[in-house]
Amino acid sequence: MSLKVAIASFAHVHAASYAQLLGSMPDIEVLSADPDGASAPDAGPRGAEFAASLGVPYVDSYDELFDWGPDAVVVTSENAGHRALVERAAAAGVHVLCEKPLATEVADGEAMLAACEAAGTILMIAYPVRFAPSYLQLRAMVQAGRLGDVFAVLGTNNGKIPIDSRQWFTDPKLAGGGALVDHTVHCADLIDGLTGGASATRVYAAANRILHQDKGAEVETGGLVTINYDNGLMATIDCSWSVPDNGPTWGGVSLQVTGTNGSVEIEPFLPHVGGTDASGEVFLPIGGNLDASMVGTFLNAVRQSGPATAGKQPAVVPQPDGAVGLRTLRIVDAARRSAVSGQAVEL
Amino acid sequence: MTTPAPNAGQREVHMSEELAGLTVGLIGAGNISHVHVAAWKALGARIVVYSLEGAEELSKQYGLEVVESLDGCLAEAEFVDIVTPSATHKEITLAAIKAGKNVICEKPLTLTAADSHEVIDAAEAAGIRLYPAHVVRFFPAYKAAWDAIQAGRIGEVAVARFFRQASSPAGAGWYRDVARSGGVIMDLMVHDLDQARWMCGDVTSVYAAQNPPTVDGVSPVNVAAHVTLTHETGAISHCRATWGATGTTFQSGFTVAGSSGVLKFTSAADTGFKEELQDGGAAGDLLIPASTLGESPYLTQLRELAIGLRGGSDPRVLASDGATAVYLAEAARASMESGRTIDMKTFVSTGVTA
Repeated sequence: MSLKVAIASFAHVHAASYAQLLGSMPDIEVLSADPDGASAPDAGPRGAEFAASLGVPYVDSYDELFDWGPDAVVVTSENAGHRALVERAAAAGVHVLCEKPLATEVADGEAMLAACEAAGTILMIAYPVRFAPSYLQLRAMVQAGRLGDVFAVLGTNNGKIPIDSRQWFTDPKLAGGGALVDHTVHCADLIDGLTGGASATRVYAAANRILHQDKGAEVETGGLVTINYDNGLMATIDCSWSVPDNGPTWGGVSLQVTGTNGSVEIEPFLPHVGGTDASGEVFLPIGGNLDASMVGTFLNAVRQSGPATAGKQPAVVPQPDGAVGLRTLRIVDAARRSAVSGQAVEL
Repeated sequence: MTTPAPNAGQREVHMSEELAGLTVGLIGAGNISHVHVAAWKALGARIVVYSLEGAEELSKQYGLEVVESLDGCLAEAEFVDIVTPSATHKEITLAAIKAGKNVICEKPLTLTAADSHEVIDAAEAAGIRLYPAHVVRFFPAYKAAWDAIQAGRIGEVAVARFFRQASSPAGAGWYRDVARSGGVIMDLMVHDLDQARWMCGDVTSVYAAQNPPTVDGVSPVNVAAHVTLTHETGAISHCRATWGATGTTFQSGFTVAGSSGVLKFTSAADTGFKEELQDGGAAGDLLIPASTLGESPYLTQLRELAIGLRGGSDPRVLASDGATAVYLAEAARASMESGRTIDMKTFVSTGVTA
């Protein structure tokens, strides 16, 4: 059975990957809309032009997009726009794959979960690193007790500042913050998956704006977040946009997990064939297409659950779900407050 | 200063004219004494050793001269190299100062900043030179990074991360007793607290978490500490120190990100030498950082410190640096206990060790 999948907004850089994936699937009909693209200050193409470059059909408004009657929607707007689109999808009984972070404010996230729960729609959060083979292996080892009692995690999600392709990432209102918001959540999600959903009890963050000062970013560009969880785990996440502009575009994500029986460190984007070509270094990733695994998981759940029934939980709740999105958003929110006060925030 | 011979193996002798006729009084015969003895012998020094335990065994292994008392050791030596358990550093350093002997003291200089300042003041009053053995400043990777930062290669330092992990020493001996070792932060992370300050500048605040926590002055056997520092420059840095499961291979490393570049190193990956020998040798050992393939950093360190003690130029690490590293470790412990960020402008070392 063919599924109708809508793509709401091209604001997030990941929209391109999702659009290409969906467009290449034989049993998926795609329709996209990016009504705010025309007014965005981005250098790259947005709106109809961007849709054409990706080879996906396009309409000018969200009204037309939802009138099309999609089974599911991928929400890839600016972070601050997630709530309105997810609530609209829920009201229309449309299953949702929402780009991370869930929202910019905890209250928005809570409202989104409530809306999807009431409507019986799936709310999955786009955390693709969860689908990395190295992470799945790590999680299986942790679950099997191979590491003993896990007591400490050091995560890094570095990478380049995404300002060149999409300026809203450094707009405090639209993004909800800078590196603390953009990058803390990925590692927080990986940790959430390892712990089976432990909640943060205390969060400390230090942040600064030394990196990329020349670009006039109005948000923090460097950050270190230390988290204590209710299951006793301690973790630190380096969320800095600290890969220089001329650095490699790959890598930057790592998770070092220590238990009483040993430790495992993963770098999900490291597996590759290296070399040199005429333009310099060659990097051919061989770690698997994580977006494809994630989108596939979402679409399977949509198919198996069928149309949403108000008040009834979907038959399949794909992970990471909205609850993970909310737990990781709470960490980001606490980190933001801690970075301002200089003291840890108790949750 | 002598020029270190590039690529020279540790076993070769690096006799140095500045150090001719040197007699070192080695006090202590535990883990770290072995690498110090190897370095002193390579430098052509005569070694007299005094220790409550293990002096005879160490002496037999390396051909040293055992002395039966601290006073005897102090009388015989030109200067002393203190490699005893941390809690005894202060008392032995003060005895050496009283005897008019210069001192090299293993890190941590003492277990509290107050004690460090007491020995520094005593040394200054007596005209004695006192250097702490913060050997990581002599490891080529760390020195190369420091040099590159000084030269502006990565612009303004923004975010730095340091880590250090080893097989836990806390199953036996004195390490687990926080009153004697200071715990994983004072014993292991103190290296990286010094590095963070060396590379990123003076520290303005300290936040620390440790898991599992220390209870009743007894450190867990397997434990990790995470400490975040803010620096006067605006930089932020993070240190992770882990006493891992038995057999954990010693590893350390850093990532320093600046406004125009990044420097990265890990001891496990960036050596240019990998081995896989099926001879049944056990992986992992002590808390002692693995040496590099070139000249032993311990040798580089002890030569530079010894030349300083003989009136040469100041080495790259001074007693005040050792005292500051201890002060930061104390602040980390205070933060851990209170859950608060410690403001280094107002933090007062209490002198409580457990």
